[in-house]
Amino acid sequence: METEVKDQLVSIEKPELVAPPNWEPVIMGILCNWCSYAGSDLTGTSRIQYPPNIRIIRVPCSSRVDPWFLIKSLQTTADGVLVSGCHPGDCHYITGNYFARRRFLVTKKLLNFVGFHENRIQFSWVSAAEGPKFAKVVNKVTEDIKKLGPLHLYKKENFDKK
Amino acid sequence: MNYTKQIQDIAAKLFAEGKIDVFVGYRLNGFDDNQVPVLITDPQDVCKLVFTDKSVFNLVNYLKTDHTRRKRVGLVVKGCDSRSLNLMLTESQVKRENLYVVGICCEGVVDDAGQKMQNCTECVVPDAVVYDELLGTSGRDGSGRDGSGRDGSGRDGSQTHPYTVNVDIAALAEKPLTERTAYFEEVFENCIRCNACRHSCPLCYCAKCCIDQETATLYNGANTTSAAFHALMTWSLHLAGRCVDCRNCEKACPSHLPLHLLHKQNESVIYENFQEHLAGVIPDDRGAFYKYSLKDPDDFIM
Repeated sequence: METEVKDQLVSIEKPELVAPPNWEPVIMGILCNWCSYAGSDLTGTSRIQYPPNIRIIRVPCSSRVDPWFLIKSLQTTADGVLVSGCHPGDCHYITGNYFARRRFLVTKKLLNFVGFHENRIQFSWVSAAEGPKFAKVVNKVTEDIKKLGPLHLYKKENFDKK
Repeated sequence: MNYTKQIQDIAAKLFAEGKIDVFVGYRLNGFDDNQVPVLITDPQDVCKLVFTDKSVFNLVNYLKTDHTRRKRVGLVVKGCDSRSLNLMLTESQVKRENLYVVGICCEGVVDDAGQKMQNCTECVVPDAVVYDELLGTSGRDGSGRDGSGRDGSGRDGSQTHPYTVNVDIAALAEKPLTERTAYFEEVFENCIRCNACRHSCPLCYCAKCCIDQETATLYNGANTTSAAFHALMTWSLHLAGRCVDCRNCEKACPSHLPLHLLHKQNESVIYENFQEHLAGVIPDDRGAFYKYSLKDPDDFIM
C-alpha cells in the first residue's frame, strides 16, 4: 500500500490532526434492497475483489435513506458514506429514487457547506446486474476517502468523554 | 408602517360580531418600544394591540399552542408569516375556516438596533398571500395579489420574483473548506441546545420531535458541540424546501447563532438545481422534497 509510506496523512478538514499509522477508513454503505444490494451480492458471487472498508446496510429503497442516517454515520464511526440505489426509472417502487435524488443533493451540499469534504458523502446508481460496477464504485470511494484522511468532525465520542 | 388603529378596530369588530375566540397580535413589552406577541381573549384588552415596524415575530407560531387549537382565531400576518401560514394550511395543521387573517403589506421590520432586518432587505414577497383583510398598499411591484397566492396574471411567485443568493452564503461558499469548518465549529460550539429555534419555528409542529426521542437520536439531550451539530443539521434538513425565511429562529436564539445560513444554503441549492424557491407562496405546494422531476441533476451520482 502506497499510502503508508507517505510521510504523514492528515485529516483534510483539520490539517493539524495526523492519521495513525496503517489507518484504514470505515465507509458506511447504504444499499437498496432491489438493485444495489443484489449488485453487491453479484460482485461477491462473481469473485470480484473489493475493499473490505465498506460496512453494508440494506434498506428497502434509496428513498428510505433519511439524511439523518448520513449525519449519524458520520458522527459515529464512519469516515465516509456511500448510498446506492436503482438507476432512475428502475426503482422497485416506481418513483422512490427520484425523491431520494433531491434529498441526496441537498444533504451533500449542506454537509459540504458546514465543513465536510464533498467526497465524504457519495452516491451511486448500481443495478442488480452491475457486479463489476459495484466493485469499481467501492474502489473509487475507498481511494477518495483514503486521500482525505480520518474524519474528526463532530464525532460523538470526542466530545462526550469530557 | 403603523397599522395599530386599523388592527384594534378589526379585532374589536370581530369580537363584537362573535367571529373569533382569541386574537393573536403584538403589544408593547412595557419597558421600551420593543414588542411581544399577545393572545387576546377579552374584548376590553383590544386597546393593547399595536403594529409598527417593531412587530418582528411570526405569530403563526402561536397557532400550535393549546390556546388557539380548535378555536376561532384572528391573527396578524406579514408577508413571510403568511407563507408559513400557507404551509401550515397545506400540511393540515390548521383549518382555514377557523381563522380570520389580517394580512399586512409589509414594508420591512427592524431589529433592536433600528436597522432593517436582512431578510426584509432581500424580501420579494412583502405582501401577505393569505388573508381575509389586507392592510396597506398591495404590491410593491404592482402585481396586485388576490389572496390566492397567484398574482393578477395567474403566475406564481417563483416566476414573478427573481432569486438572489444570500450575501452571507455567497461569502462563505468562496472560503476554503478548512475555514468553513472552523467557522461552523464555533457556531455549533456556541449552541446551548435550548431548542428555542425549534419552538419558535411555525413549521416545527410535531408533538414529539425526533431529536427528543431517546432511542432514535445519538445524544439524548446532551449539550455538546456534536449534539448541537446533530440537532441543528436534522432541524435544517427537515425544513429544507419549507423554510420561509421569517428568521423567527434567529430572533429567538439566545446565543445569536447565524441559523439562517443553514436554511439559506438549502434554499440556494434547491433553487439552483430544482428551480424552486419561495415556499408557501402557492397554496397546496408542499415544497421541493414532495415532488420530483426527471430532469433533476444526476451528475453528482456515480
